[in-house]
Amino acid sequence: MASITLDDVTKEFGDGGDAVVAVDDVSLDIEDGEFVVFVGPSGSGKSTLMRMVAGLETQTDGDVYIGDEIVNQLGPRARDIAMVFQNYALYPNMTVEENMSFGLKMSTDLSADEIEATVTETAEMMGIESLLDNTPGELSGGQQQRVALGRAIVRDPNVFLMDEPLSNLDAKLRTTMRTEINRLQSDLGVTTLYVTHDQTEAMTMGDRLVVLNYGELQQVGTPLECFYRPANRFVAGFIGSPSMNFFEGQVTDGTLVADGFEYALTERMQGNVGDRTAVTLGARPEDYTLSEAPTDNGFEVVVDVVEPMGSVSYVYVRSVAASHDETFVVEIDGQQPISEGERLYAHAPATDVHLFDTQTGETIHQRELTDDAEHALSQPLENASAGAD
Amino acid sequence: MASQNPSQSTSQSSGPATGDQRLDKDTRETLVSVARHGLLLAWSFVVLFPLYWLASMSLKPPGQANALPPDWLFLPTVYNYIRLAQDGAFLAAFANSVVMVSASVVLVLLIGVPAAYVLSRYAIPMERDVLVWILSSRMLPPIAVVIPFFVIFRSLNLFDTRIGMVFMYVSINLSLVVWVMKAFFDGIPETLEEAARVDGATRFQGFRKVVLPAAKPGIFSVAIISFIFAWIELLFGLVLTNFEAVPVTLFVYSFIGSRSIEWGMLAAASMAMILPVVVFLIAVNKYLAAGLSFGVVIKE
Repeated sequence: MASITLDDVTKEFGDGGDAVVAVDDVSLDIEDGEFVVFVGPSGSGKSTLMRMVAGLETQTDGDVYIGDEIVNQLGPRARDIAMVFQNYALYPNMTVEENMSFGLKMSTDLSADEIEATVTETAEMMGIESLLDNTPGELSGGQQQRVALGRAIVRDPNVFLMDEPLSNLDAKLRTTMRTEINRLQSDLGVTTLYVTHDQTEAMTMGDRLVVLNYGELQQVGTPLECFYRPANRFVAGFIGSPSMNFFEGQVTDGTLVADGFEYALTERMQGNVGDRTAVTLGARPEDYTLSEAPTDNGFEVVVDVVEPMGSVSYVYVRSVAASHDETFVVEIDGQQPISEGERLYAHAPATDVHLFDTQTGETIHQRELTDDAEHALSQPLENASAGAD
Repeated sequence: MASQNPSQSTSQSSGPATGDQRLDKDTRETLVSVARHGLLLAWSFVVLFPLYWLASMSLKPPGQANALPPDWLFLPTVYNYIRLAQDGAFLAAFANSVVMVSASVVLVLLIGVPAAYVLSRYAIPMERDVLVWILSSRMLPPIAVVIPFFVIFRSLNLFDTRIGMVFMYVSINLSLVVWVMKAFFDGIPETLEEAARVDGATRFQGFRKVVLPAAKPGIFSVAIISFIFAWIELLFGLVLTNFEAVPVTLFVYSFIGSRSIEWGMLAAASMAMILPVVVFLIAVNKYLAAGLSFGVVIKE
């Protein structure tokens, strides 16, 4: 078990003038036993960051600590880590048993009997004991995934690194494995870094999220912090599905004027906005309501497309007054009758709205929360996805 | 048979019927199958007949070997083979070839496979140029380089030595091994070695224990192709050997004299030459099919 510390870590690929900065000056403390998810779109540097912890890439600048030890100069084999790869990277010419015992043979002095016992025990835990004599080519995707996890667990390492381990599975299996990895991690208590581009996985699995974009750290926080207290427009848009709606506007005399509607800012909002004029309003689909009568700060919209999901419906609407025909998403109760072409009033209450600086993307005003919710945000959820399936 | 098929019976009366123009599905399949087998038979005849001719010629008594029209029916005799087996020069040349070619295959794999791996995995400066340079050894027609080789072999005392011929064969096959194996390694995901390194293996252990086994089909393919190329080599043997290191191809060639051709012996020696290739092929057969689909060994 070990903590992980990244200190001003930078990674550039290429050299001289064409260097591409994959990871830009990231500092991070990960506690012993924590489950931390690196999340971001492709090219955000999340995999590179993990590979530097693994020792598969060497940082251009900065220090990586595992426990109290600087591991900059150590190769992957000396770092006592285990990794699960996106394509599983099972050794194709070895049986499942050989795959699982390979690491123990390479990195420990255990006798053949001890190795066999450890492998059998782990295989039983993973439910793959009947597959031990098969080669990876004979296994289904889900079974390969289990073997890859088993191969990592059997090593009993200081740190687990998982690089998009579920992205090759079908949706149903992914949900099951998500729960299972969560359970395993909390049972074993091993510090885990998990890379994903899928915000649902990030929300449901991590004790904390590390949100990255273009190699830069955007926010580090619990899933709910990132959801309710996004540090900037990128995090606000990336976390949550469907994404938050953004409207760029100008603030004059306490009113935000966007293309298609005006929004009267509360006093607190005005205080937060200060003398900025270019301000972006952000509101999540579920915070909007659609009603037949006009409301304060409401504006007339026409329904473009309705996507019924069952318990809720996603309604794509566009402002009647807008000069463009871009739509935004509103989530309404699935039982509310609605039809395409209908004209309604869209309204997001002032308590639920975020404001961002249009230039920098920084959050300048956050939505309101109850005190209890505020307190709960900073607490990592135990077993975050226990009901995910 | 038509009465069981409703579409045929109804279409007989209607105008633009297509149904009755077409043959029954089973009949069509049979015809296609017959045609396919016919073509395959014809092709196997083209391929196998010369082999049959050679084999039958080697089993005919002297004088009958080259008779025209051929004697289709003859009493087979192993006369030619017995003469061949008693010919010390033939046995020496055969042994020469087995030793020299086998050694060259081992050596070319020892050099070429690691080279291909490095070219596939590491960032080599001017990698493309290095690859083209390696291939450039095969760009000139052999006849253009044989004289320089002769001069070099003389001055290095490699002329008419087995070791010289081994180097010769290596130089012929190295570019093939490097190019094919590089493509093969490119097809093996790099995460395999990374997994091995994370599992506690050194880079070399990762190569030896994980990548090499995965590359086995490719290695066997280039081994057999290298073996064949070296085994059938004649030109360099002709120029670079004299007596000590004569390969079996040269010995076979010697039956074609300036005045007469010893057809029976020529055929028997040729048959004997085919044998090691066939044995080698059968031995590595199971790896070969996978190896010929270069690079696609690993399902993801």
